[in-house]
Amino acid sequence: MNILRYILNFFLSLKTTLWFLGILLILFLVGAFIMPGNKAFQQLHSIPLIDWIQKQPVKDIWWLWGIIGVLAVIAVNTLFCSVDSIIKKRKVTQWLLLIAPQIIHMGFLFMLLAHLLSAFGASQRNANVMEGSRLRISDDTILNVEKIDIEIDYYGYVTAWKVDVNYISGNETLQTDRIMPNTPSVFKGFNVNIRNLKPHPQKIALLQVNREPGAMWALAGGVLFIIGIVILIAFKRKIDK
Amino acid sequence: MTLLALSFGSYLFALWKRPLLYLGLILQAAYIVSRGAELGRLPLVGPHDTIAFLAASIAAFSIPFGYALRNRNSFFNIIAVVTAAFTAFSMLSKAHNSPLPPVLKTFWFEFHVVLAFMSYALFGIAAVLGSMYLKEKDTVLEGLQYRAILIGYCLFTLSMIFGGIWAYLAWGTYWVWTPKELWTSILWAFYSFQLHAQWWAGRPMAYMSILGFAIVLFTYLGVSLLMKSSHSF
Repeated sequence: MNILRYILNFFLSLKTTLWFLGILLILFLVGAFIMPGNKAFQQLHSIPLIDWIQKQPVKDIWWLWGIIGVLAVIAVNTLFCSVDSIIKKRKVTQWLLLIAPQIIHMGFLFMLLAHLLSAFGASQRNANVMEGSRLRISDDTILNVEKIDIEIDYYGYVTAWKVDVNYISGNETLQTDRIMPNTPSVFKGFNVNIRNLKPHPQKIALLQVNREPGAMWALAGGVLFIIGIVILIAFKRKIDK
Repeated sequence: MTLLALSFGSYLFALWKRPLLYLGLILQAAYIVSRGAELGRLPLVGPHDTIAFLAASIAAFSIPFGYALRNRNSFFNIIAVVTAAFTAFSMLSKAHNSPLPPVLKTFWFEFHVVLAFMSYALFGIAAVLGSMYLKEKDTVLEGLQYRAILIGYCLFTLSMIFGGIWAYLAWGTYWVWTPKELWTSILWAFYSFQLHAQWWAGRPMAYMSILGFAIVLFTYLGVSLLMKSSHSF
């Protein structure tokens, strides 16, 4: 019973938040100096983080394991503190002021969830394609590159592009799309965009097929986070006046 | 460039006559607008333009903070020195005049950069207020320092969200593991720490504000100039 009480107090404490945020900062700092010199990190986006991390020698990525562990503790700590705060302060009249930090916390947890989902399911594939190229993106779907248009200015810079694609399953065309700068083609969780283009001697596009299952959660988390902070700033102004 | 040189002079002479700080800001804003008109885009690529924008943001945000202070002369004097120093650095940096790659021509990128530099400016003001607190021990300074960090943190988070949306649209992922993203996380975690550590009021908080701005400068200039990342100049 005492152990349970100890664990509860540990996760309810703001000191836990600060200690672990401090450790997180140190681990990020270590990583920021180790990462640039390590070639293994260039492969990081091609497979899910969890698969990648297990294949790396511990001496290179121990700090990344540390970050994952610390973030897990901070996530539980955030959840416990939010619930505790709502229970303790539920009778306050200014409920928006009570709820604002919890909205921020929820936003943060959504962002962590997004990274967790991406860590297990994100992937990236690159392929050089020409007009008429076909690329299998899943067991039953083929991506067909219909047309590549490249706009080049007087100095030879690529100023815009349009790549028409369609998704085919058997003899059926499932979706027709156009990829442009900052306008990817999104199909069943895949994000298809163009990384590079070569206009001569033949039009070639470096196509990238991404899967990012956490994207929507990250967006939702970010929006919640901002809503919470804006409410907090507005109330602080009101209280200060 | 003449406008920028004049704004540098105005900031410097604002040490004697404060209205010259406002003149410096107007001249710098005029320079930024003229650069935008010349390039046909938001002039916020490369150290020359971004540092000029940072200096102008610090000068602009300093006005409401300065007028909430009793000892505003010291505050505006430090701001004058800081903005003059950044403007000088901007003048020494090479301007990026070539056309932007197509993926940078989006308002997601523009908002991402504008918000990031506005937040950096607020973190800079918090550092100035922190350094003044170490000398004067005025609680008003401490309150304003907290407010600058809170608003800066809000803008910084918004900038990260806009950057994430832009990265998803441009490259299919909202997060890329490069030194810049790691340093951005360090900055975000640092200010999260500072906003939570409220019982460390007084000197520790002031020192943290100064340290925070040092991390801002490294995240902005150090990483972009020294390390290979998605944000290299």
